[in-house]
Amino acid sequence: MEIGKEVFDTSSAPGNTLGLVSAPLPNPRMYRVAADPSLRVQILDLGLACCALEVGSAIATGLLVETGLLDAADVGASPASGTTILLISGTSTDALAPAVLRAWEQLPEPKAAVSFGACANTGGPYWDAPTVTKGIDQLVPVTIYVPGCPPRPEALIAGLLKVRDEIEVA
Amino acid sequence: MTTGDRMPAHSHGVIALTASACTSCMICVRECPVWCIELECHDEEVTEPGARRPRTVSVLDAFTIDYGLCMYCGICVDLCPFDALAWQPDFDYAAGSAAGLVQGISELESWRNNLDESPKVSGS
Repeated sequence: MEIGKEVFDTSSAPGNTLGLVSAPLPNPRMYRVAADPSLRVQILDLGLACCALEVGSAIATGLLVETGLLDAADVGASPASGTTILLISGTSTDALAPAVLRAWEQLPEPKAAVSFGACANTGGPYWDAPTVTKGIDQLVPVTIYVPGCPPRPEALIAGLLKVRDEIEVA
Repeated sequence: MTTGDRMPAHSHGVIALTASACTSCMICVRECPVWCIELECHDEEVTEPGARRPRTVSVLDAFTIDYGLCMYCGICVDLCPFDALAWQPDFDYAAGSAAGLVQGISELESWRNNLDESPKVSGS
C-alpha cells in the first residue's frame, strides 16, 4: 500500500465536491433580544472563527434569549420581528466563500446580513493574506458592520438594534 | 436593561484620542500591525519672546483609525509617548458601511468622556 494514498485520494468522494459547500446548513434559531423584548429575530450564526465565542457569550449572559417560533402578536410588535439575520462572525477564506454565499442564498426573506468583527468587516489582521476574503461584503449585502476584534457581546446587541432601526426606516 | 450595564470601566471598547497631546510623532502609525491609523500634519514656526530662533512644532491636521481593520491589540496605546491614545469602554459604533467605521479626530475625541483627567505622574 502506498503511504498517504488513502488520505489524499479524493476520487471516491461523492461528486468530488468540497464538504463545506455540499453539507446541509443548520437551521436558523429564533432569539429574543433582551434589550428590546418586542424584537424577535431568527439568527443563522455563521461562526467562522474566534468571534463566534462572543455570540455564545451573548446567549450565556442572557443578552440573547432563545425562544419558540414567532406568532402573530410578535410580527405586529416590531417591524423587524421575523427578520432572518445571517450573522457572519469570523474569517472567511476564498475556499469557504461559496459556503457563505450559499448560506445567504438559502435564507428565507425578509433577511439581513450582519458582519461581526474585523475579519468579516475588512479582512482585519489578515488584510495582507492572499487567501482571505477582504470583507464579507464582497459576497453578501451587509446591513450592519460591527467593529471589534472581537466585538463584545454588548456590541452584537447594539448591532442587532441598528439592524432593527434600518428595517424600520426602510 | 441597557446592553452597556455590565461593561468593565477599563474594557478595550474603543481607542480615544486627545488631539492636543498628540505631537504627530507617527510612532502609532508605524507600529500598528494592521496599518489602520492614518495621520496628517504640517509644521509651524512658533516665535517665543526671548528665544533666539523660532521653534518648529508639528500641528495635527487629520488622524483616523479604521475600526474595520483595527485588531484592538493596543500597541498604539502602549507606545504613545504622550498618552494621547487611551482605551475607553464604548462599543456602540457599528456602521452601515465599512467606510463608516473609519473615525476621525472629532469622533475619536468624543470618546474621551470618561477619561480620567488627573495627571498620571506627579509634578514633584
